[in-house]
Amino acid sequence: MEIAAIQTRGLTRTFGALTAVQGVTLTVASGQFFGFLGPNGAGKSTTIKMLTGLLGPTAGTIDILGKPFSAGALDLKRQIGVVPEGMALMGRLTAPEYLRFVGRMYGLERETVNRRTEELLEFMQLADERRKLITDFSHGMQKKLALAAAVIHGPRVLFLDEPFEGVDAIAAGMLKTMLQGMINRGATIFLTSHVLEIVERLCSHVAIIHEGRLVANGSIEDLRAGVASTLPGTESEQRLTLEEIFLSVIGAGSQESTQELSWLT
Amino acid sequence: MADLTVSSNAFGSLSRSQYSAIVWMRFRILTNSIRSVQGAFEFSAKGVAFIIYSMMGIGLGIGLGGGAYGLVRNQEFQYLPALFWTVFLVWQVLPVALASFQEQFDISSLLRFPVSFGSFYLLSIAFGLVDVPAILGGICCLGIWTGVTLAMPSLWGWTALILAVYAVFNILLGRAVLAWVDRWLAKRRTREIVSALFLLLMLSMQLLNPALHEQRHSRHQHHGAAPSGQTVMDELPRWTKSVMAVEPWLPPGLAADGLLRIAESEKRLIFISLGGLGIYIVLAAAVLAIRLRAEYAGERLSEAPAARKRTAEDSKWLLDGSGPIAAVVEKELRIVPRSMPLLFAMGAPLLTVLVISSVLKNTNDTGHPFSWAFPLCVCYALLGFTQMIFNSLGSEGTGIQMLFLSPTPMRTVLLAKNLLHGALFCLVAFLAAVFATMRLGCPDATLAGTTAAWVLFAVPTNLAAGNLLSITMPYRVNLGRLSRQRGSQASALVSMLIQLLVIGCGLAVMELCAFFAQRWMAIPCLLVLAGISAVVWFRVLAHADSLANRNRENLIATLAKTE
Repeated sequence: MEIAAIQTRGLTRTFGALTAVQGVTLTVASGQFFGFLGPNGAGKSTTIKMLTGLLGPTAGTIDILGKPFSAGALDLKRQIGVVPEGMALMGRLTAPEYLRFVGRMYGLERETVNRRTEELLEFMQLADERRKLITDFSHGMQKKLALAAAVIHGPRVLFLDEPFEGVDAIAAGMLKTMLQGMINRGATIFLTSHVLEIVERLCSHVAIIHEGRLVANGSIEDLRAGVASTLPGTESEQRLTLEEIFLSVIGAGSQESTQELSWLT
Repeated sequence: MADLTVSSNAFGSLSRSQYSAIVWMRFRILTNSIRSVQGAFEFSAKGVAFIIYSMMGIGLGIGLGGGAYGLVRNQEFQYLPALFWTVFLVWQVLPVALASFQEQFDISSLLRFPVSFGSFYLLSIAFGLVDVPAILGGICCLGIWTGVTLAMPSLWGWTALILAVYAVFNILLGRAVLAWVDRWLAKRRTREIVSALFLLLMLSMQLLNPALHEQRHSRHQHHGAAPSGQTVMDELPRWTKSVMAVEPWLPPGLAADGLLRIAESEKRLIFISLGGLGIYIVLAAAVLAIRLRAEYAGERLSEAPAARKRTAEDSKWLLDGSGPIAAVVEKELRIVPRSMPLLFAMGAPLLTVLVISSVLKNTNDTGHPFSWAFPLCVCYALLGFTQMIFNSLGSEGTGIQMLFLSPTPMRTVLLAKNLLHGALFCLVAFLAAVFATMRLGCPDATLAGTTAAWVLFAVPTNLAAGNLLSITMPYRVNLGRLSRQRGSQASALVSMLIQLLVIGCGLAVMELCAFFAQRWMAIPCLLVLAGISAVVWFRVLAHADSLANRNRENLIATLAKTE
């Protein structure tokens, strides 16, 4: 039996009286490009933080690559890469310095770190900005650097929180190619994004979280079929986009504004 | 659109509504900040710090008031500038050395709102008015006013006016200097030049001071008598005489001159002094306005455009080895030269050691300096490392997440930082010892050994306590600027208490052994304490991971939050 790359059981996180994530149970198979969707404040980033050890769960368990995961599971941390919400950059370093630092923190050899740093800088089109401090990078450049740092050690599982936000179209195309290449070589990618077209194009499976609870989970085809069967008048299930599936699952389509902002010109 | 067509000057209705909104916002931030236990503790610590600083200010104010009273009563107005120079130093030097009472925020973040330049200018001044230096400066001015008024009650009104004008000048100058320093230090090249100049200045002072002292000493021997006031004036180098000739035209001199004119009832000439101060106020305001205008126009303090050439140095590693300890040490080594606050923290105590050692030497020319002078100088060097050691994660910013994501245990990260900080401290302590030796003479072997043993005790104690505080009471530090810096009064108070404890332990051991006429015994005693503190340090490191994991949410929330 193949080991799941990510498996959670009853994952829950509360902040005082607020339950941000409640009883999330999901399985991401190895080699899957998995999209994790949800409206703002649904609990996506909280879930990713728990899956990567930045936040402790209140209840539930996490297995990564078949082993129990916690903040102290250092062997597992070597095998995951993360682009967290805040990008985790160090503003007073330059891009090559930061990549070399990250590479060494993951225990890579000197030659490997130097070689991969150069390759990643070239690939991310940051080679010309090597003397600039990260704090002076544009948001898009910082995002590309955060991605480079997340993959420098060749992770088997990659967590990406809004990786395409602020990245230009050319770079986004290259990143998609890179990520697809990682999937082809057996890596697993767990992605959150509000750009549903990208998720639909890249991911084979998605889960949708709403108000802290998992409300849908499966392959896009299965979800499409499921939603199509519940929608009256849908002639062909193939015509449903991921956006329509998403809106249907979280019930946003039925919520109509009761008042207009008449003072807006 | 009709709602927006309101006056946009600094006192128009829009500006007034913006001021009230900002006051409300600051009040809400304050009340929200005390919701959490840590916030409430921080607030209480600020209260305690406020009382401590106020006591210091009142002490200083009483001293200056007493001085003013004596000078005015005895008609020794020529020494009044010394009081005004003291106020000037308090107002201009302390801002860089002390964390602000206020929860600082970048004033330029208000520029996304329709804020007029006048309002922006006023706000940038107003945000520093309840800072420690301003409070101390204000109390000092009040002290001088009280002293002068008690000595000559008829002068109260004019004295108040002169002091108020002088205070306005100090406020504007302080703001202008910090604004420009931040601008200059925003460029890496400037930072490097400033660092080099800073080191050069320290070395020059070290050479200059003994040279001047020896010159004076040889003249004493030549004349064979204690110097009178006039003799001292005669002995001063020519350049100091030039400085003293200019001094009456500088703001402290003008303020003192104003008081002299009032006392001599030369009321027409008072306006020359006030006019002079007014010119300085206009100049300081203009210099500040130039800087703020650029900021208002959208300038962002940042690096100069990056050089596009690829250099060989990019791929150089400062430290060999690919381990995480080397990685963290190398990262810190790259960051320290780019950070003026860190360089200042390390360099400033050395400068002070020079001053202290010179003062101690000059107060005793018999060749037998104050017996604590040598360890005192070494001790003082440690104080500059307080923030670096007790908030060692504060400069990580969002990078703290990377430290938690990587497979490197937090204890390794802290160990690497500890090794670097310990090494830097030993270097600074060594330099302080060299400076003290040059000025005060070579200490005897027992005193040198005791001091070295105290250092061995102080370093691991500081590192152990620093690691605990770094994890449990972190606060974000912006290494790019000296002013508008965040601070934590709670962390500052606890760290100062620990420093006092460490210094107190050393002094107690030394005094006790000296009391029993066994001064050498202090060395083994302190070495035993050093051993115990080393064990504590190792224990703290061993538990650093579990402690950091328990506090990781607070650490990430505090250090990675956007400014």
